Amino acid sequence: MTLTPAPLLLALPKGRLGDDLMPLLEQSPLALDREALRTRALRIPTATPGVEALLLKGSDLPRYVAGGVAALGVVGSDTLDETPVDVLELADLGLGLCRLSLCAPEPQDLESLRRRPHLRLATKFPVATEAWLEREGLTAEIVPLSSSAELAPLLGLADAIVDLVQTGSTLRAHGLREVATLARCSGRLIASRGAFLSQPERIQPLVKILIQVLNRK
Amino acid sequence: MPIRTPHFPDLLFDAARRLRRWEGALMALLQRHGYEELHPSLVLREPHEADCLRFFDGNELVALRSDFTVSLARLLSQRFPEPPPRVAYAGAIFRRPLQPWEPVERFEVGCERIHEDPEGRPGADVELARLLLAVPGALGLRGGILQLGHAALLRVPMDQEGLPPALRDALVRAISRRSAHRAAEALADHPAAPRLLAHAETLLEQLDGAGGLQALSRSPYAGALTRELEHLHGTLEALLPLLPAGLTLRVDPADVHGLPFYTGPTLRLWAPGAQQELAAGGRYDGLFPELGRPWFAAGFCVRLSRLLDLAETRPELFEPLP
Repeated sequence: MTLTPAPLLLALPKGRLGDDLMPLLEQSPLALDREALRTRALRIPTATPGVEALLLKGSDLPRYVAGGVAALGVVGSDTLDETPVDVLELADLGLGLCRLSLCAPEPQDLESLRRRPHLRLATKFPVATEAWLEREGLTAEIVPLSSSAELAPLLGLADAIVDLVQTGSTLRAHGLREVATLARCSGRLIASRGAFLSQPERIQPLVKILIQVLNRK
Repeated sequence: MPIRTPHFPDLLFDAARRLRRWEGALMALLQRHGYEELHPSLVLREPHEADCLRFFDGNELVALRSDFTVSLARLLSQRFPEPPPRVAYAGAIFRRPLQPWEPVERFEVGCERIHEDPEGRPGADVELARLLLAVPGALGLRGGILQLGHAALLRVPMDQEGLPPALRDALVRAISRRSAHRAAEALADHPAAPRLLAHAETLLEQLDGAGGLQALSRSPYAGALTRELEHLHGTLEALLPLLPAGLTLRVDPADVHGLPFYTGPTLRLWAPGAQQELAAGGRYDGLFPELGRPWFAAGFCVRLSRLLDLAETRPELFEPLP
């Protein structure tokens, strides 16, 4: 008697990471059905029978995997580290490489920020920021924002920001510069603990396929 | 933001009936195997763990019982010159949860096997594992997965390399997530990184019954782990012929859950596809010596509150209530 529901669901991210990932999946056993992608279908069939994809916002994705709805998922480490969920993190896919950095208006540097009696940091990444502050022995007021953190120092809402940096062009355009790197960020392959334990024979081959596909990039 | 999930859930008719039935069935199982019930007080007057629920009784700060094993160990070490060998318990614990939606009040049934002779460890561990194999049947749980690990497989190499506490925590977190890249990040410039990462690779190799343990023979610490590996092999050999239909045994050296507490083999029972274990336990030889008694111990606890949740969300996993 099979107690686990079929088919197996793979959670894939929308947004920039998804844009990097989808072309790599084409021609692979996990290629998404183009017809279904053009519709509002919730579950997108893949080229592998019994495996379907869910397209989710990155910040929601780890919860679908942790809850066992999706057996596997691809999500940025920056998002994963902000979400308090118990999932397995099977591989660093090296996709969507960037860094989480502390950035301040020119000409400030880390030492000048350290000297401030009341430091205010605007960020979409409060968990990683708090962890870094603790490691550095610093205290700061965290100003949580959901978008465009780079505007905060310009408008006086914060002294500096903690944000993702890929090329640095957005920072430069706003007169900001990186003063410390908190973490290297990339796409990660995550798995539901329960699904991994219950169905390793179904999950392991998919893990191999995903890693092989992304190694070809 | 207020959490609206009931932290102290009320159990209505079916759930209450299940709880009584399961408690009765599990305690009967334990008593048939010679485990005698102890019922430590719900109120703790000793030093309290950080996740306790505390309140004032007059001017005295007290707490509600947050863990049976620790409460029983205190009671036994204070009241008995020699340990009662087999102890069982049933009741509620109150603990601040890690996740906000988890209940504070939780119902548990469990057992502890305590002995003075260190040579008694293999026999006691197999006895407990055999008992745990009988738990799904007693609960009417259709199928399950028994995950068998061993805390020393990571503890011994970390001790040998003298890893500082923060690095130990980071490595345990990484292995618990089956994440070799996080382990590499955590160990970055540590001189023992090549050895520990080679060991992590053997822990994380996909495992399949007794064959999976062979990967550990390639570990740089294989020599230091000979006794532990023999112990695991022995446990496996004893358990495999006893596996009831529908129960799968998975040997998982990367299961480092509860590592700071456990010192030897660990066991976890899962329902197929469920995200949290339904029972957990293992050998914890460090607790009684901390309380001044040179005793060895192992035990497991069945998490009835999680089983009640599972019965609501996935009733197909259970035999219907009569």
